[in-house]
Amino acid sequence: MIDLSIKALEVTFPGLATPALSIDEFRLAAGGKLAVTGASGSGKSTLVNILTGLERPRTGAVRWGGTDIASLSESRRDRWRGETIGLVMQDFYLFEGLSALDNILLPARLARAATAEMTERARELLRIVGLSRPEQKVETMSRGEMQRVAVARAVVRRPAVIIADEPTASLDSESGAQVADLIMTLAEREGSTLIVVSHDPALIGRFDKRIRLVGGRIAAETIEAAA
Amino acid sequence: MIRFILADLNRFRLGAFFIAAIVALAVALGVAVTLQERALRLGSARAAEKFDLIVGAAGSETQLVLSSVFLQPSALPLMPGKVLSDLEADPRVAWAAPIGFGDFFGSSPIVGTTTTLVKNISAGVSEGAVFAREGEAVIGADVMLPMGATVKPMHGTLGEGGHTHTELAYTVVGRLKPTGSAWDKAILVPIKAVWDIHGLGHHHDDGDADEHDHDHAAADQNAAKPAGTEMAEHHDGHDDHDEHDHHAIDPNEAINEQWQGELPGLPAVVVKPKSIADAYKLRQQYRKDATLAVFPAEVLTKLYATLGDVKKVLSAVAGGAQLLVGAALILVIVMHIGQRRKQIGALRAFGAPREAVFGIVWLELFGLVAAGVVAGIGLGYLAARVIAARLAADSGFHMPVSFAAEDGGALALLLLAAACLCLLPAIIAYRQPPASALRG
Repeated sequence: MIDLSIKALEVTFPGLATPALSIDEFRLAAGGKLAVTGASGSGKSTLVNILTGLERPRTGAVRWGGTDIASLSESRRDRWRGETIGLVMQDFYLFEGLSALDNILLPARLARAATAEMTERARELLRIVGLSRPEQKVETMSRGEMQRVAVARAVVRRPAVIIADEPTASLDSESGAQVADLIMTLAEREGSTLIVVSHDPALIGRFDKRIRLVGGRIAAETIEAAA
Repeated sequence: MIRFILADLNRFRLGAFFIAAIVALAVALGVAVTLQERALRLGSARAAEKFDLIVGAAGSETQLVLSSVFLQPSALPLMPGKVLSDLEADPRVAWAAPIGFGDFFGSSPIVGTTTTLVKNISAGVSEGAVFAREGEAVIGADVMLPMGATVKPMHGTLGEGGHTHTELAYTVVGRLKPTGSAWDKAILVPIKAVWDIHGLGHHHDDGDADEHDHDHAAADQNAAKPAGTEMAEHHDGHDDHDEHDHHAIDPNEAINEQWQGELPGLPAVVVKPKSIADAYKLRQQYRKDATLAVFPAEVLTKLYATLGDVKKVLSAVAGGAQLLVGAALILVIVMHIGQRRKQIGALRAFGAPREAVFGIVWLELFGLVAAGVVAGIGLGYLAARVIAARLAADSGFHMPVSFAAEDGGALALLLLAAACLCLLPAIIAYRQPPASALRG
């Protein structure tokens, strides 16, 4: 498991006077769980892009378990992301025409990392997320089911880190609760570091450690004692 | 990856189908032009190979070849019949045979000639026998007539306002083996019958040669005149005798190809020289005064030179169409990639390497284009076959539509160009930053 360390990070976009994200120092222990909140435009998405290596920080350092992801080339970062980060997004980004099982395995297959063992694991994950038909095409599923497939996809390669960006925002409260449960349970089971960006109070309330972003800066950091 | 590509193509199957179809049409255009031109070249060369040297009256070389080799109806000038007897007597000549035209049966030209020519242009009869009497005819392989059928010759074609001859009706006695040339559509009859019908030459047996004046002299002034033997060389001074006098022609009279007396005018004589040297000497000798001698192969080569230019133009048009289609497709595809940047970004976000994204886009596109190219080759081949079949049905002139080894190179070049063209959208997808694709 790997920890996160951010130092002197500043992300600016052309045409914007203030940086979209500015974090002097932040740490998250390996296996830690963090909720990130903030209004829209507060820098949440930028933070997700930086943490997942989708965007390369020009100033400052972002280290996951000692790897400065800013120093990796685009292709190396793709490979690193595939191996290290499990991503769940608000729009599930499942690929129509493919079955639930194929969707779960697609990124691994494209990275030539899929194995028979991983296929087995994908079937098991489908059982865990409560889907009984691995061959069902995703376009015939409900939104709740789709997000559960997306969760299974995020964890199939046993990533050290799970990052979920508004995972419940496009679901009704019941499905949202189910998905939130699954993410928490799976992260716990795998011992993954978990970062959830959300404004869903029911989801945020389940995290002991929370930060709130305002104007790209950490405005508040809350650490509740475990109940 | 393959499964993902197939699923993706299936999702956009209508668009994918149209892309492949447009590529196919553009390719088919080029393929059809190439194949058709080659077919025409091979077909006409094959049709001309039986005709070593053709002697006709001075005039257009091209017309002489088109009329004699391809039996294209036209008004050929006539040369004195003596040319034929001279050629037959010439020691450098293996054989010489007259051809006379002007009459039709339906759309089949009726060609008057000798048994020598019949035996030499075809590999023999497939049924029946070659004509032996004046009222007998042997038909080309493609003429839809049964043995024993009666052929009433019509002067000119119906479309030209021709009229039916009543002097003689031929009986079909044989069918020739296919030659793959226009002669497969022809009805071959003794040249003497053609002369007699048109009131030319001497009817040696009935002894009333003086009566041979014929109403054609008048008729021909009105009727559009295909090449004919009737251009009045032999009116025996009886021009005032315009009584409608159908002389009796005996259809059972055995033909005699040992010419006696003066022969009527002829549009063309086919000559088989004994050697190449003889061929050149003969050509030189008959290329002066009132006669013209041509090697059909040489005339065709000149025609191909013209045809070659036309082919270049057509090929350029086809190439331009392919280029336009290629450019339009790239535009559409780049726009499509732009619309799907989020999806492509997502693939990257979930851990697919950018090389895989590149591979997917390229393979998917190239697959489509290659499918279009293959379909286009099939389509072009089919189109060329249909055109060739149509022409064969019209003229009896067979054009062998076939691929040649050089087409393989052209195909490889086309696929290579397509592969390069597909690189562009693939590179765009490869370079697309995943974060900006997902944002918003």
